[in-house]
Amino acid sequence: MKNLYKYILFSLTVFFVSCEETIDIDTITSEPKVVIDGVLTNNSELNFIKLSYTRGFYSLDPNPAITDAVVTVTDDADNEVVYLHNPNNDPSKKGYYYPQTPYAGNIWTTYRLKVTVDGVDYTASETMLPVTEIDSLTVIIDEEEMEDPDEEGEFYEVLFYAKEPQDRVDHYLFKFYKNGLTLRDFEGDIYFADDDFLGESISGVPTAGYYKLGQYAKVEMYSITREAFIYYNDLSNLLNNDGGMFTPPPANPRTNLSNGAFGYFQVSAVDIMEIEIKDPN
Amino acid sequence: MRKFLLTTCVVLCTVLASAQEKVTLNGYVRDASNGEELLGVTVLIVEIANGVVSNNYGFYSITLAPGNYTVKYSFIGYKTIEKKITLDKDIELNIALPEELTELEEVVVTGESPIANVSSIQMSRNDLDIKQVKKLPALFGEPDIIKTIQMLPGVISAGEGTSSFFVRGGSADQNLILIDEAPVYDPSHLFGLFSVFNADIIKDSELYKGGIPSRFGGRLSSILDVRTRDGNNKEFEGEAGIGLLASSISVEGPIKKDESSYIFSARRSYVDLFLRAANNDNLVYFYDVNAKVNWRANNKNRFFLSVYSGRDDFSFGEDFGFDWGNKTATFRWNHLFSDKLFSNTSLIASSFDYGLGIEDPVQGIRWDSNLQEYSFKNDFNYFASPQFELDFGYHVTYKRFAPGKITPSSDESIFKATELQHEYALDHAFYLGAQHELSSKLTMNYGARLSAFQSIGKGDVYLYENPKDNIDPTRTDTLSFKSFEPIKTYFNFEPRFSMRYMLNESSSMKMSYNRMVQNTHLISSGTVPLPFNTWAPSSYYLKPQIADQVALGYFKNLNDNMYEFSVEAYYKTMDNVTDFADNAQVFFNTDLSTEYRQGDAEAYGMEFFLQKKEGALTGFIAYTLSKTERTIDGVNLGNTFLANYDRRHSLNMLATYDYSDKWSFGAGFTYGTGRPTTIPSGTYEWGDGYSADVITERNGYNLPAFHRLDLSATLTPKSNANKKWKTSWVFSLYNAYSRKNPFSLYTRVKQDKDGNIIGDGNEKEARMIYLFPILPSVTYNIKF
Repeated sequence: MKNLYKYILFSLTVFFVSCEETIDIDTITSEPKVVIDGVLTNNSELNFIKLSYTRGFYSLDPNPAITDAVVTVTDDADNEVVYLHNPNNDPSKKGYYYPQTPYAGNIWTTYRLKVTVDGVDYTASETMLPVTEIDSLTVIIDEEEMEDPDEEGEFYEVLFYAKEPQDRVDHYLFKFYKNGLTLRDFEGDIYFADDDFLGESISGVPTAGYYKLGQYAKVEMYSITREAFIYYNDLSNLLNNDGGMFTPPPANPRTNLSNGAFGYFQVSAVDIMEIEIKDPN
Repeated sequence: MRKFLLTTCVVLCTVLASAQEKVTLNGYVRDASNGEELLGVTVLIVEIANGVVSNNYGFYSITLAPGNYTVKYSFIGYKTIEKKITLDKDIELNIALPEELTELEEVVVTGESPIANVSSIQMSRNDLDIKQVKKLPALFGEPDIIKTIQMLPGVISAGEGTSSFFVRGGSADQNLILIDEAPVYDPSHLFGLFSVFNADIIKDSELYKGGIPSRFGGRLSSILDVRTRDGNNKEFEGEAGIGLLASSISVEGPIKKDESSYIFSARRSYVDLFLRAANNDNLVYFYDVNAKVNWRANNKNRFFLSVYSGRDDFSFGEDFGFDWGNKTATFRWNHLFSDKLFSNTSLIASSFDYGLGIEDPVQGIRWDSNLQEYSFKNDFNYFASPQFELDFGYHVTYKRFAPGKITPSSDESIFKATELQHEYALDHAFYLGAQHELSSKLTMNYGARLSAFQSIGKGDVYLYENPKDNIDPTRTDTLSFKSFEPIKTYFNFEPRFSMRYMLNESSSMKMSYNRMVQNTHLISSGTVPLPFNTWAPSSYYLKPQIADQVALGYFKNLNDNMYEFSVEAYYKTMDNVTDFADNAQVFFNTDLSTEYRQGDAEAYGMEFFLQKKEGALTGFIAYTLSKTERTIDGVNLGNTFLANYDRRHSLNMLATYDYSDKWSFGAGFTYGTGRPTTIPSGTYEWGDGYSADVITERNGYNLPAFHRLDLSATLTPKSNANKKWKTSWVFSLYNAYSRKNPFSLYTRVKQDKDGNIIGDGNEKEARMIYLFPILPSVTYNIKF
């Protein structure tokens, strides 16, 4: 449904043929707040906790990393895993925390995150829900794109197939990759859905972007909780806000993190499928 | 309440008794050239220096002791007519006023200028002269009363390109917009570039901002009462306008001379024709059709049937389209029970709907939303004596809301058919208002409206563990209601009071208090309503919104009534104003009630208004100083915040100048403090490279100021006496000095012109959207 909203906003912009320009705003920079980006899935390679601070609107540096926090994740059997800051000393992983031994989470288990920064505790608790399986991915040629591709030969589209279970409530998050790199149609796109209006047969839904022959398309499908769905929905509204003219005024996303921390601790089961782009004919 | 009714009854009976041995003069006042009834004509009895004003249907009635009298009928823009009558029995006197042809270059005010501004008891009201509106500069050359309304004192617009307006601290949905008494739920075409009001058909439009008469109710902040013309009942007449964006045609004439007439008017935009010609797949058009017939069976019975239909249709290629429209129909019967008791009975229907369609084999859907309302209204005017007039009546409305229905466009669609629950309501209102002249200086208007609003079945009400939990709403129970079974009933008593005290012949003080109640709520959390917003009735969870307003004003006419001046101050508090939780999901939410947040609003301000209605140069200057704040639990952490449409200063000037028979000029200037908006107090990256902002305070920042100058020139070539038609050209220049006026502000990761992110993507920027640069336009009008 949110796509529909986007369609409307998009057509509004098209309609008004509005002009725009960059202006300076006198922002007051608020106290830096802790930003937590935590992912725990049933696939150990995808798991991490990333900690940083918010920064000034006009600051040119990335979020300042937090490197001296105490991070633990506890499951409902009280097994505690301590996360360490960048154990392999990878310079690109400043602010990332990993468990000593990578591990995969289990569905129906509730995980509690506790992050202590400068003596302040930030906690969150989230349950891993089962995820629907991806049936298949297929490749088609997008005729319109073929007429005028952004890049030579880049007009193959990947379609997605699944059976949405009608007997339970599901929320989904999708991530798309082209040759291992994140792929989105627009900067502020987040691909997430609830199943309120979905029928059982999800067949041939286009995924983001276009591909060339020989490239690899990967789809990750995550189960998320209702709270996470709300978080992504709020984040999407914030990222795609028009300043409150037609959209609601911008607001901070609602999160499962305590104590005013930004970000989210996401616990998901994930299903991954990757295909090579081949000519469908 | 009972005591109040009793008192009124006693007053009424006394007045009735004292009126026994008197006689009544009554009739209709009309335009001599086309037979249109004139509203608000002053009927003055010279001998007693007292009089009445013709009502909304052009009827007047005055009861006097028998004798010889001189009666003066005066109305702005018309010649004053004086009649000597011997009133020894009840007399019916219909008057036709000839239009006053302004002698150009000779600024002499002929006749007597009405001093209604000063002497009328009504304050906080503005009339719009449609003839003047047509001479004013307009966007794309389309004259639009709503754009003129946005210039009035106490009225604020959200910028440009929108048809919404904000009256004395009220939000856009708090205006009751009526066309021939039927409510129009969304007055916008092309997302607000134009309003639904075709200038060719409008006879009279009035905006009430305060001291609202008891016959009106249902919205908190204002009543915009637009009445369409009845059609010329003397001869056939027509008019056509060819503009850049839209063209219109209207025809009118007698069905039976002097007895019945019709008017038909249509307007359509034709951007789509150009687009089609240019092989562009994106099509956009709108149209309006107004039609009216009216029949004067005799002086005692008059009938009108008026219908309106308007629609916008957008399609983007073959993939996506949407449309919306209003339809209204009004049947009215004016009946004179006696010389003194006038009644109007109306049957009114109004509907609004929108639809969206996505054509796609797997994601295709059609989505429809609509609402209808049907009203029966019975209004009475009792003209007891020149000193006492009584209005009373009963209104009942049935409302039906169908907020949304999804239909998959094919069997392959991933969506399933779904429909949001309908809502129904019955709205009853009884009202009584008395206009009472206590002395030659003091007149009071007192009355009240009693509204009984019922949310009714068929429907289910969900009970929640926590009714405000919008993250994970947990339903604990469902209450089911049968058709017409009351779910919740809200009674509200709305006192209305106003008074006028004449300080001297040319100045007066006025004061008013009114309570207004609103039981239909717009479900929108943006600043400007979109046609895609839905409405909901007061119900189990949504409480009626209530406003109390006091206003005080000083009114003065200067220079032989050439200039009208007024200053008004108002203070308004509103309870249960409808807002939504931060991050509310108001779009197709099956647990929408958990997003409702109702709270308080406070608004106050001062309005200065100087108007010149006569002479070659006419126009007004309006300045408004105002402030509007809201405090709502669950919004902005419960802290008080400025309303989206708060505007500290607003200055508007409009002028038209008749230079010669051939040329007249118009100008409009508007200045407003920048709109409050929410800006970030920081930023952070999160997830796969999303750059999100830190929000601390709602509406804590003002956009740059808004100002704009518009100019127009109307050329009316000398018409050849042999020719049956007259032509004119209207040249408009919108935003003459091409100011980049802020429409909205958003933030993004800094990008270059082609939309590529600059550098490592850490730098952010604020982008101001502005709409119209300098825009010239021309419209060609033919009158035949």
